[in-house]
Amino acid sequence: MPATLVWTRRHVLGLADFTASEYDAILQTAASFRAVLAGRTKKVPALQGQVVANLFFEPSTRTRSSFELAAKRLSADILNFAPGTSSLTKGETILDTAKTYLAMGANIMVIRHQQAGVPQAIATELDRIQSGVRVLNAGDGQHEHPSQGLLDLFTLCTTLDEETPRLKLLAGKKVAIVGDILHSRVARSNVWSLTAAGAEVHLAGPPTLLPQGFARLAPVQVHWELEPALRDADFVMALRLQRERMAQHLLPTVREYHRVYGITRDRLQLCRPTVKVLHPGPVNRGVELSSEVMDDPAVSLVSQQVTSGVAVRMAILYALGGDNQPA
Amino acid sequence: MTELIKQVRVLDPESETDIVADVRLDSGQIAAIAPQLSDRSEDLTITDGQGQILAPGLVDLYSSSDEPGYEDRETLASLTAAAAAGGFTRLALLPNTNPPLDNLPSIQTQQRRYQGLPLRCVPWGAITPQLAGKGMVEYQELAPQVVGFSDGTAMPPLDLLRRILEYLQPLGKPIAIAPVLPQLRGNGVMREGDWSIQLGLPGDPSYSETAALAALLELVAAVPTPIHLMRISTAKSVDLIATAKAQGLPITASTTWLHLLYDTRALASYDPTLHLATPLGNPADCEALRAGVKAGIIDAIAVDHTPISYEDKTVSFAESPPGAIGLQTALPCLWQQLVISGHFTALELWNAISTQPARCLGQAPPRCAVGAAAELTLFDPQRVWTADAQGLRSLSTNSPLFEQQIVGQVVTTYSQHHNQIV
Repeated sequence: MPATLVWTRRHVLGLADFTASEYDAILQTAASFRAVLAGRTKKVPALQGQVVANLFFEPSTRTRSSFELAAKRLSADILNFAPGTSSLTKGETILDTAKTYLAMGANIMVIRHQQAGVPQAIATELDRIQSGVRVLNAGDGQHEHPSQGLLDLFTLCTTLDEETPRLKLLAGKKVAIVGDILHSRVARSNVWSLTAAGAEVHLAGPPTLLPQGFARLAPVQVHWELEPALRDADFVMALRLQRERMAQHLLPTVREYHRVYGITRDRLQLCRPTVKVLHPGPVNRGVELSSEVMDDPAVSLVSQQVTSGVAVRMAILYALGGDNQPA
Repeated sequence: MTELIKQVRVLDPESETDIVADVRLDSGQIAAIAPQLSDRSEDLTITDGQGQILAPGLVDLYSSSDEPGYEDRETLASLTAAAAAGGFTRLALLPNTNPPLDNLPSIQTQQRRYQGLPLRCVPWGAITPQLAGKGMVEYQELAPQVVGFSDGTAMPPLDLLRRILEYLQPLGKPIAIAPVLPQLRGNGVMREGDWSIQLGLPGDPSYSETAALAALLELVAAVPTPIHLMRISTAKSVDLIATAKAQGLPITASTTWLHLLYDTRALASYDPTLHLATPLGNPADCEALRAGVKAGIIDAIAVDHTPISYEDKTVSFAESPPGAIGLQTALPCLWQQLVISGHFTALELWNAISTQPARCLGQAPPRCAVGAAAELTLFDPQRVWTADAQGLRSLSTNSPLFEQQIVGQVVTTYSQHHNQIV
């Protein structure tokens, strides 16, 4: 059980304003929870008696399962909300939904929504009524996905130091983020954490999916060609490509996308020999990643990301819900 | 009845008057303005005007009345109560009622509803039946009854617009349009730029407005029917309008109070009340709009009061119906942000929210001068109030200022012999 976690942030809505000490606190806490998960009992009583409500307005199986398992490993009680089984279409507002779970005694609300800003709107309202509830953004539209950003950070850092992952390990490392940056909440959260770490961040994608404005968002390099982003990269993070981008006239075909921006074994020759590849999942095989890259344990960190996800989400839930919050 | 307002700051943009004086109102007229007026008379109400401003009543170019059809959001009674409490004496109301104002009986019925209201209300007639952007309404029949024609938020397709402008030439009524090309706007909900990238909200590029504006200016150069350009929101639009005005095109233009007070940075709150039909500009746009109003390139500041129910607005930013209320808060907020900050003189602001809007509507502007009708606003720029459900007269609360403290309040609105005491 981590004893020294100091945490003052009330809600985790994004990584844009995360501090170095907050990153390190999550990384260290996640490392100790990873040890718990590797042990025999796999469970700690850290959030015993607390209620974690998963409010997933946007359907999700993977992220929700990861949060559910993380909360269970912390001995919290879990409530799951999904719009298919709810009254949301019958005139209930998003705030009504949140207040319903507040009335059931939720201490932490994990919120995913297809539109940007919803977790923040709910957090603002819960603060306004002085509920004391903590909000954790589990992905909002194209805005942020902080738990994914943190689990990616943890995955990268543990690759460099298995036992003591810390932010500064990534200083000077070259990380390429490739694909549909514009529509990606994962890319935004990664940009914040990686630039905070002092990594050399290179974004690559077609101009329709990677506006130049990203270069003004944070100290990153924007490339419309893949090669300069991959050259000597330590890590390559591919993003999921939604099929609807073709219908929106943002791309001609999936085939052309893979031909120009797909991560293949050949392309990885440009990177450092120790290069590792990440993807937030689910992967469109043969589109963002070739199957041979995806299935090569020497290169792919995709399954480590999923495993890290539980420990990192335990760390975030513990930070928000444990006894480490100031009164 | 005679009222004497003592030592009040008198503003009259028409004569560029900005003085402290005594003002005597008699039988709905401004009887005298002088440094000192005698208060020895029977039947005289005396008001201490020290620290307050007496100026022409405010005129709004386009707001939504919601009656008939959406009375849960706003009625004409609540709308005009909010407007009077905000210092307005005249409103031009959009045709987006249900049924819409696209035919003579609807407009005549609406005119009857306007009678008996404390303010002077005039309707914009629809440009197209059902505001649907297809076909023509009976312009010849409607023209005498309306201040002009507008579909509110939608811009009719250019091929149709060309024919409408041609047809309207002999009628002498303007057409009011918010320039936007929907194909370029796409699913955008905020102005595209650095902040849309950071906030992850779908961006609407500024050229969805400027490309439409450029096309409109080409049309009006060929067919000189007067156009009022509504909700101008970009820096480039201000330049295009300046050039077009220098060429003598028959255009007037307005932006809204919210476009002058907020920019895309404010959307970090994801407050749905800042989701507007024409999105807020980026910081450089906001600056250019302020300069444009000050220079008279943008003639007027509109309120574009758009009530939306709590249920409809309490959703995500992108999914919320666009619009905000503002009649009651526009003046104090503009005063604080533009005049107290030193960007505008008091007369420049008043010109843009009273004198010029009246001109855009083809009306003689209200005056604060001897002999003029007492169509006035008495404004206390220091009085503090809270824009909560009690303080706001509107039935809806979709305001970015909801539950906030407002500095500045209208004390009295004098309108058509009705004194609206706040």
